[in-house]
Amino acid sequence: MNGIHDLGGRHGMGPINIEPIEPVFHAEWERRIFGMFILAFAGGHFNIDQFRHGVEQMAPAEYLSSDYYEHWLHALELCCKANGSLTDDEIQSRMKELARGDA
Amino acid sequence: MPAMFPASGVEELVRTGASCRVAVDVNPGFKSGDAVRAVNINPVTHTRLPLYVRGKRGVVVEDRGVFVFPDTNAQLKGEKPQHVYSVMFAAEELWGHGSGRKDKCYLDLWEDYMVPAKE
Amino acid sequence: MSSKHSHEDHQRDMALRVKAIESLLVEKGLLDPAAIDKLIDLYEHKIGPRNGAKVVAKAWSDPEYKERLLKDATSVIAELGYSGIQGEEMVVVENTPAVHNLVVCTLCSCYPWPTLGLPPNWYKSAPYRSRVVIDPRGVLKEFGVELPDGVEIRVWDSNAELRYLVLPMRPAGTEGMNEGQLAELVTRDSMIGVGFPKARKGE
Repeated sequence: MNGIHDLGGRHGMGPINIEPIEPVFHAEWERRIFGMFILAFAGGHFNIDQFRHGVEQMAPAEYLSSDYYEHWLHALELCCKANGSLTDDEIQSRMKELARGDA
Repeated sequence: MPAMFPASGVEELVRTGASCRVAVDVNPGFKSGDAVRAVNINPVTHTRLPLYVRGKRGVVVEDRGVFVFPDTNAQLKGEKPQHVYSVMFAAEELWGHGSGRKDKCYLDLWEDYMVPAKE
Repeated sequence: MSSKHSHEDHQRDMALRVKAIESLLVEKGLLDPAAIDKLIDLYEHKIGPRNGAKVVAKAWSDPEYKERLLKDATSVIAELGYSGIQGEEMVVVENTPAVHNLVVCTLCSCYPWPTLGLPPNWYKSAPYRSRVVIDPRGVLKEFGVELPDGVEIRVWDSNAELRYLVLPMRPAGTEGMNEGQLAELVTRDSMIGVGFPKARKGE
């Protein structure tokens, strides 16, 4: 698809933000989503091309302004909903439980 | 079927990876030195042919072998194994007449992304 | 993003969502949390650019290794014990006085993990991915690198499953250094093509 991810040659994206010394992961949730993607892939939940296409379907403004691993979160959710492993309701409920300290 | 990948398998998984190469004999349609043109396709589904190279003329540098085709694989419509070629595109071809520099971009194109370039 | 929604709020939302998804998938027997822990440890602490530096140092020291590396990178890199995820199909491209190589993935973030570890944020960002194919000299300038006009720049866009590693030129005045010492001069950025190896420390 001719999505915003197809960036080669575009102008106006701004200066390259070079962090001189950068940690491998910037937050704990980045670590977890990294591991989850690899293991879901290795467990046959989706193939790599489905996953990449999942990232490509992010809304353009979100894609450009989000942290990198949010792309993976978006794709993982999309693929898990597509293969029936997760539903929106389940995710919302679990988030509420966790926020309340119930789960 | 989604399955649980066990911790006991992680080290081997990391070490061996998951190659997309397919061990099947496919006749290559192109060889090193061939002049080719990237096709002008605009699927709404997944492709790995970037906008900036579509319709542009390049030269095959190397046949990398046979791989799963992402355009069909992403839609679960089959692996459609085919040759992937490293293709060289001159900067002036991609971006227009410029300073006359010798710069080049190299991309890896699946055979379905290429047609012979007419002279 | 709304100005009311701070960076901290957003990070907290992400953490909550990821936790929710992980707990659901673990409960359903689809993910093993111990496996996640193991993977994180490998990529955070064990797999990184020191691997690629050893490949480069060996290529600088051993002309026969270098020749084989340029012909069949995957198996020759594996001789040093580096292989696997996102390095299943390696290609090494050599910098010379006439040619300078740069690597990118304009479509996402593909990068040779077994030799370089996980990519830095700038590599995965829109500014780098958009600009390096159309203005590589401009990008090099942002990294403080300038090349003579006559040098041919080759940008390798990793749009398929091949993963590219740049073999930088060996710095001058490094004769007599052993592989271990040479490896210390090799920077991650020099193996992507946005920098040069360090110079030998002055006597």
